Amino acid sequence: MSGLFYKVTYPCDKVRDFMYDYLDGNLPTVTAIRFHLHLNGCAQCREYLFLYKKAANAKEFRKEHPAPDALLASTLGFLEKEGVTGPEDDAPEEPFPKGNP
Amino acid sequence: MSGMKPSQSIPDFEEINSPEFLEMLLAKGPTGQRAFARMVQGTHDRFLGFIRRQLPSQEECLEVLQEVYLAVHKGLPGFAGKSKLTTWIYSLAHHKICDRIADRDRGHKELTESREGSRSTENAGTDRWSGITSWDAPPDRLMARNAVEGLIGKAVEALPGPAREVYRLRDLEGLSGEEAAEILGITPENVRVQLHRARRQIVDWVQEKMAGVRNAKEPQAGGRGSET
Repeated sequence: MSGLFYKVTYPCDKVRDFMYDYLDGNLPTVTAIRFHLHLNGCAQCREYLFLYKKAANAKEFRKEHPAPDALLASTLGFLEKEGVTGPEDDAPEEPFPKGNP
Repeated sequence: MSGMKPSQSIPDFEEINSPEFLEMLLAKGPTGQRAFARMVQGTHDRFLGFIRRQLPSQEECLEVLQEVYLAVHKGLPGFAGKSKLTTWIYSLAHHKICDRIADRDRGHKELTESREGSRSTENAGTDRWSGITSWDAPPDRLMARNAVEGLIGKAVEALPGPAREVYRLRDLEGLSGEEAAEILGITPENVRVQLHRARRQIVDWVQEKMAGVRNAKEPQAGGRGSET
């Protein structure tokens, strides 16, 4: 890659430091253009951005195993014993207030 | 099967954070108790997930979760509503987890052979996260789905304390910068800095591991191998 490329764009480290704002959509226009120019010519930074996005979106690929019902029952049983919640047996259905009073 | 049965609809976080729900929670008698039980039903999975990503044993997670709900119950009358109710619960959970970890670390110091244990855990991590399906799988490994994602999960464990806490709250739990700042008692700007640092450390760590795998797969390509 020519020296001009690096003059017009940014060095890799700077581009990587912009990735946070880039994902948040907070890069000023000119910075974003130079950022993209760099990415177009730099495979390492493209890979870096791919991984950075993966790290930032960990919530989406995190494996969530719903806790077994027994655990919820155990928690509710414990709280009932502590007097925090009442027995659940035949409590009358109570409309939950929502919207306008 | 327990005697528990689902009551009314299970509220989501938005409903739980509404002023109406808070009013129900603060009500005395069966109304407050029922609202609390519904709140537990609606938040149980999420907070258990948060706790189990940081504590290894199912039993310990359950204990902490119960402690958290007790603390919520005790603290509710004084809850000023300045933050979201769920943010406040996260905050309580965070502190309970920190207490547990601190207790355990103290215990570990007293046990001179503790290093052997952690070494065997490290070795167990080399199986690339395969077959992780059980509820009580080791904390951050629950997030693994493929090799890169698995490596990211492992990288989280390698993060230094403050960056790891910020990363967990922001990118794993999906809380806002303000919420994470409130829970950790730092400024939103500090959260931003720590989060970026954490992400970069994760990427660097993952790249390092990936390079290691690539090098292992392509030995002597450049004639630099020392074998034979």
